[in-house]
Amino acid sequence: MRLRHHLGLLLAAAASLPFAASAEDSIKIGFPIPLSGPTAVYGEPILKGAEMAVAEINAKGGVLGRKLELLSRDSKASADEAVRLSRELIIKDNVDFLAGTLTSAEAPAVSTVAKENKIVFIAPTAKSMILTDAAHIHPYIFRIASNTDVEGLAGATLMAKFQEVKSVATIAPDYAYGRDAAAAFIAALKKIRPDIQVVDQQWPKLGEPDFTAFINAQMSKKPDAIYCSLFAGDFVTFTKQATPLGYFKAINYRLIDGGEIGTPDEAQALGADYPYGVIANAYDPVIWNGAEPPEHKKFIEDLKVFAKAQYASGWSIVGYEAIYALAAGINKAGDTKSDDVSKALAGLSFDTPVGKRSFSVQSHETFAPEYWGVTAKDPSYPFATIKDPQALPTSFPTN
Amino acid sequence: MAPSFLFSQFMGGLTTAMFLFLIASGLSLVFGIMRVINFAHGSFYMIGAYLAWQMVQWVHPAGAGFWIAALFAASGVAVMGAVIERLFFRSLYGREELYQLLFTYALVLILGDAAKFVWGTQQLSVSTPPVLAGSVQIFGSTQPLYSLFMIALGPAIAFGGWLVLNRSGVGRMVRAAQMDREMLDALGANVGTIYTGMFVFSSFLAGLSGALVTPIQSIVPGMDVLIIVQAFIVVVIGGMGSFWGTFWGSVIYGEVLSFGILIFPGFSLFSVFALMAVILIVRPWGLFGRPL
Repeated sequence: MRLRHHLGLLLAAAASLPFAASAEDSIKIGFPIPLSGPTAVYGEPILKGAEMAVAEINAKGGVLGRKLELLSRDSKASADEAVRLSRELIIKDNVDFLAGTLTSAEAPAVSTVAKENKIVFIAPTAKSMILTDAAHIHPYIFRIASNTDVEGLAGATLMAKFQEVKSVATIAPDYAYGRDAAAAFIAALKKIRPDIQVVDQQWPKLGEPDFTAFINAQMSKKPDAIYCSLFAGDFVTFTKQATPLGYFKAINYRLIDGGEIGTPDEAQALGADYPYGVIANAYDPVIWNGAEPPEHKKFIEDLKVFAKAQYASGWSIVGYEAIYALAAGINKAGDTKSDDVSKALAGLSFDTPVGKRSFSVQSHETFAPEYWGVTAKDPSYPFATIKDPQALPTSFPTN
Repeated sequence: MAPSFLFSQFMGGLTTAMFLFLIASGLSLVFGIMRVINFAHGSFYMIGAYLAWQMVQWVHPAGAGFWIAALFAASGVAVMGAVIERLFFRSLYGREELYQLLFTYALVLILGDAAKFVWGTQQLSVSTPPVLAGSVQIFGSTQPLYSLFMIALGPAIAFGGWLVLNRSGVGRMVRAAQMDREMLDALGANVGTIYTGMFVFSSFLAGLSGALVTPIQSIVPGMDVLIIVQAFIVVVIGGMGSFWGTFWGSVIYGEVLSFGILIFPGFSLFSVFALMAVILIVRPWGLFGRPL
């Protein structure tokens, strides 16, 4: 009896061996990303995008004949936790590369771990300039997302088109991203339309539950238009409090927001309460109310199936791109040594569902534009969509 | 500064205050009477918000069923409170604060994950009930009807609570339980039932405030932790266990936040925390509390 029991265990162990061997052979990518707390709203779709890229690549035989393996961990949107997890992934799990993180707090922190351990790290979403500026750039950090300078320039370009606007105000969350975005917008606007006055700036904290005081204070300065960097749940709360106060009417819906409020994620939450008519952006508009690239159409169809979602998320694309960029780098390098992959990635062009992107040789940025446009009611959807999304800015002083 | 603007700012502060009061009053009651610091009170509030959203989806997504949803949410949380009190809190009374803190904190984590499991991580939103969706002009300023409703509801609940606590038989028992639990027990009163009743009432308030906040805020994971910090500041300012203290603590918090950003626009939270620090130094038992 006893022997047979042991035999069974032995057999089970033997059966699991081939799998263990193939796992040993795979290329491991550590992926710290918030999966709990308020920011899990983005963490989960970004991870889904990355998982789908891994599944697609593996179905085609992997990279250099080896499968990709994604090791995702919950960073809780905390820089400390992301650093701890990254170290653990490198030391215990022997990952070959790092990708992931969400915020501009986590990414620069993980970037230092990547630098110490000489491991390539691809940040999909963090936008703060300090991730790749002259003081912080190193061979192993690469960024997929737009940065705050790119975003501010796009916002200012759109604002400049409002000929009748003479005064603007800003409202942005009080941390690195919001501060940088508002500063970049103002710097760019001063160049394009020096006649526009900045009459007010409000800094509610991230996750602010009550914007009433900020809204009233801003309205009392009577700006003609607003540049806003509020996003996600904050934008939902802000809208619900601003609408009855007559905020959007007072500025005639001339609000430009750089916080991805044009995604179905955001639009679905607000439904009929969305301030239709404001100008919004998205990494990926998902529902492309205009000339949609065919690759994008396929990407969204696949994503809906993969994520089992009725409408796909506008955040998945950055996770998806991060994995494809890394795979392209490994392919070009011909091995998985971070030093070789880092050299291969600098200056490399890679395909995305929305066209080619390439990493700058100097700053390792893609200077990715985002998709901007006026939000409108589309009879086929019970929520707002961006009308005819435009990639902005069309050009950017890269380095 | 235009008077209409100052009035708007004042009313905005008052609306904030009344929401905080609804939440903090339950926290303060449970502490005042049972001497338990219920860290999970914010989680009850969050569950209330999610339940309200759920009910609105079932009844009428356009928002007509809001009042039914609010009542359903508050009752649901009250039932949950009853179960939690009977099963767990019961064994915590009289224990060291550390155990209470650990237990209620564990509850925060469990309820947070449970909510995430059931409702996901996506931000959710409930439309304002059509009756209160508009706004009116008062002294040249725009006032949302929903804010006016909250400003009326807060004092009504405060006054009702005070009336029950100070002018009724039930209230007399509750106050007696607060003063000397053992003596009341010895006199043959069922202190356990009083405690359960108070806990259920406090849960009801938490659930109700969670439901009532949904028309003006998004429902997101993490709203539990955010609100509990604010509620604690209110209770610290007003005085632990004092009902009116909580009321005035909320008003002070709301108005300081509202006018604080006019003085220090870049430091929106500075004023409130500075106030709390000063009160903790000068009067650690709060404005209306009694030294312990």
